[in-house]
Amino acid sequence: MASSGSGYDLSSSTFSPDGRIFQVEYAHKAVENAGTALGLRCSDGVVLAVEKPLITKMLVKETTGRRVHTVDEYAGVAITGFVSDGRQIVNRAREEASNYDETYGTKIPPRTLANRLSAYVHYFTLHGALRPFGCSTLIAAYDPATKHHSLHMVEPSGVTYEYYGAAAGRGRQPARTEMEKLAINPKQVAASGDGEGTLITCAEAVKQLAKIIYSLHDEAKDKPFELEMSWLCEGSGWKHVGVPKKVIKEATVWAKKEIEEAEGEESEEEDDEMEE
Amino acid sequence: MSEFTNPDIGLDSTTPTGGFNFENVHRNSLIESQLQKATSKNNITPLATKTGTTIVGLVYKNGIVLGADTRSTNDTTVADKNCEKIHYIAPNIYCCGAGTAADTEKTTELISSQMELLRMNTGDGQSRVVTACTMLKRMLFRYQGYVSAALVLGGCDVNGPHLYQIYPHGSTGKLPFTTMGSGSLAAMAVFEEGFKDDLEEEEAVELVKRAILAGIFNDLGSGSNCDTTVIRLDGTVVHGRNCIMPNEVKPLRDSVKRSDVLNMRKGTTAVLKSTFKPRKSGFGVTLADVTVTPMET
Amino acid sequence: MYAQQQYQPPMMSSADSDAYTGKSAETRHLKPGELSTGTTIMAVQFDKGVVLAADSRVSTGAYVANRASDKIAQLHDHIWCCRSGSAADTQALTDYVRHFLAQLAVETGRLPEVKVAAHLMRKLCYENKDNLMAGVIIGGWDPVSGGSVFNIPLGGACIPMPFALGGSGSTFIYGLVDSDFKENMTKDEALALCAKAVSHAMARDGSSGGVIRTCVATAEGNEREMIPGNKLPYGPAGW
Repeated sequence: MASSGSGYDLSSSTFSPDGRIFQVEYAHKAVENAGTALGLRCSDGVVLAVEKPLITKMLVKETTGRRVHTVDEYAGVAITGFVSDGRQIVNRAREEASNYDETYGTKIPPRTLANRLSAYVHYFTLHGALRPFGCSTLIAAYDPATKHHSLHMVEPSGVTYEYYGAAAGRGRQPARTEMEKLAINPKQVAASGDGEGTLITCAEAVKQLAKIIYSLHDEAKDKPFELEMSWLCEGSGWKHVGVPKKVIKEATVWAKKEIEEAEGEESEEEDDEMEE
Repeated sequence: MSEFTNPDIGLDSTTPTGGFNFENVHRNSLIESQLQKATSKNNITPLATKTGTTIVGLVYKNGIVLGADTRSTNDTTVADKNCEKIHYIAPNIYCCGAGTAADTEKTTELISSQMELLRMNTGDGQSRVVTACTMLKRMLFRYQGYVSAALVLGGCDVNGPHLYQIYPHGSTGKLPFTTMGSGSLAAMAVFEEGFKDDLEEEEAVELVKRAILAGIFNDLGSGSNCDTTVIRLDGTVVHGRNCIMPNEVKPLRDSVKRSDVLNMRKGTTAVLKSTFKPRKSGFGVTLADVTVTPMET
Repeated sequence: MYAQQQYQPPMMSSADSDAYTGKSAETRHLKPGELSTGTTIMAVQFDKGVVLAADSRVSTGAYVANRASDKIAQLHDHIWCCRSGSAADTQALTDYVRHFLAQLAVETGRLPEVKVAAHLMRKLCYENKDNLMAGVIIGGWDPVSGGSVFNIPLGGACIPMPFALGGSGSTFIYGLVDSDFKENMTKDEALALCAKAVSHAMARDGSSGGVIRTCVATAEGNEREMIPGNKLPYGPAGW
């Protein structure tokens, strides 16, 4: 790496001569190699999905080392990267949400929660004595005041944006490409003449996200994993809850079948080519 | 090097740090109540000098007129016959004070100083009257009425003339005319009768003087002379210190013809004997009494 | 000797003789010389927002310290507050709530809700109840709930209501307002109810008087009005 040994990468309080902060970039790297985390804003809610690698077969895999957490009645986050760093962010998110409720008597607006979390994460990139978070956070939240639901992502640098679809961790680039094909952007959908009604629903999104995560997974190379999913939608009374096990299972079966079929088609094509 | 970095002029722990001290409030009230139980007549606790007072202010066509009497009392004794109750806050803002003299003086002094620092920090040439009012009410509220200052704050700024009344507990009111202190009832009667919107300066000053005189003559806590201050919209200020002195005693004394029997001439008392004793050395030290050594240079 | 006993300086009201100093249940705990808005205040929901109304008398014991005060304070663009109790305490409280709401509006980038204003006020009133003498009514309009009214009495409770009455004068008009209040009144009906109720309270309560000040808060904005003491819908004959 170009930066190693130059001395400019020892602290996040030091800029390199070309204006970069290497410690923050390394923190991003830590997330790049972690399990994939996906978030999708649908017409009727938000869905979060995370690939949780299983380090051994002896794990009580459903309950341990969770990647999706409920922060408040109407807010949940998915984390990927250093999970222990992520836990700090989850704790902070819960604190912010409960403090806001205590102070103002209303639920924290999603954008405010995202901004406050991003300020917290960003603080760790300012001081020489602190290490930036090796963790990206997807925030799904519903605002009862405006009746809007939204998806935000906070990155290790402290930047945050609102998304229709967000991805972090290993394979985020191909995942984004796949998500772009889904009907998630109301403006694009409207431009294509289909109208708001054809925006993807949470039920459909669960299947699609499962498919993306399974298709990015290389069974030969990657560790086995547990698919963790949560949503916050009309059907759940806008509460952030885990997607029912049965639904995840069905989505997984469907996803695997889809992938197999696609591979079959591909190999057929390949066969054709071979024949040529 | 400043007083913060120079160890030689550092503050030692015995130097008072300024501000108000309430250490003895509870002790005093306890002593007071016990004394009152024991003997209802003999109350020996020391009393603070209060400005049992008449202070007034009004808005006229071209600015603000403030007025005050000049008596300060200690119980039933007049402690000062000609004190000043119209305090400076900023070049365009003045403030009349009633209550405990020490409190009104220190409070206005403190806010005046803070206003000057604020003017320097903001680079704005002019202080706003609302700013002074807010700072005063915040401070008085913080001290929960224990800083006994009832104020009439007046001044002119870019937003026009402003007159506020501020009570010791920290409540404020913005009014076209107001009176405070023990003589406020007498003065208010005059204002209620004579106040109109957009008075001319002369009329306004006259009305203020009448209100103060009502306090001076009808309220036991108020007396002596009448002070006025006019703050015009253009920022000019006219002080009418002792503009009426209805209680001058010299002309009265001069006008009284005293019988010659009462005026004793020099030498009325006969000298029977006189002696002279020179003072011994010791206090009156001369050069002869000390050894002079040259100073080392 | 007799005359001396009769005389009481106006600024030194004795806490024991309530009858003489004209103190009501609400103003009984004032410190000597403390200003009180011995008061009639009310707020009424109507179809498009809220009407708030108050008399204008501020008293120190038996002396009227300010006969034309404004007891309806603005907390945010569409949120208002009627003050009763200690003038100093309620002014300090409204200053704080105004400050917090301004901060919140900047952080969230939207109009604060009336219930948030009420929650903040309640928090301050409850947590400092030992040092405060404040009964306030918060009313206003917000995009989430429309017009709403919250009553925050002495102990620091916070009660949403279709209409709320407060201050020493309110006891005289509860029956009147109970009988005259209707859900979903028009603005003019609500204003008329407020003017009638407050003028009746002012006629019977010694600590209420002066003029009636009103404020109408709706989505369109706020309308402030004043009814002079000689134009009240009800009052002593001859006015």
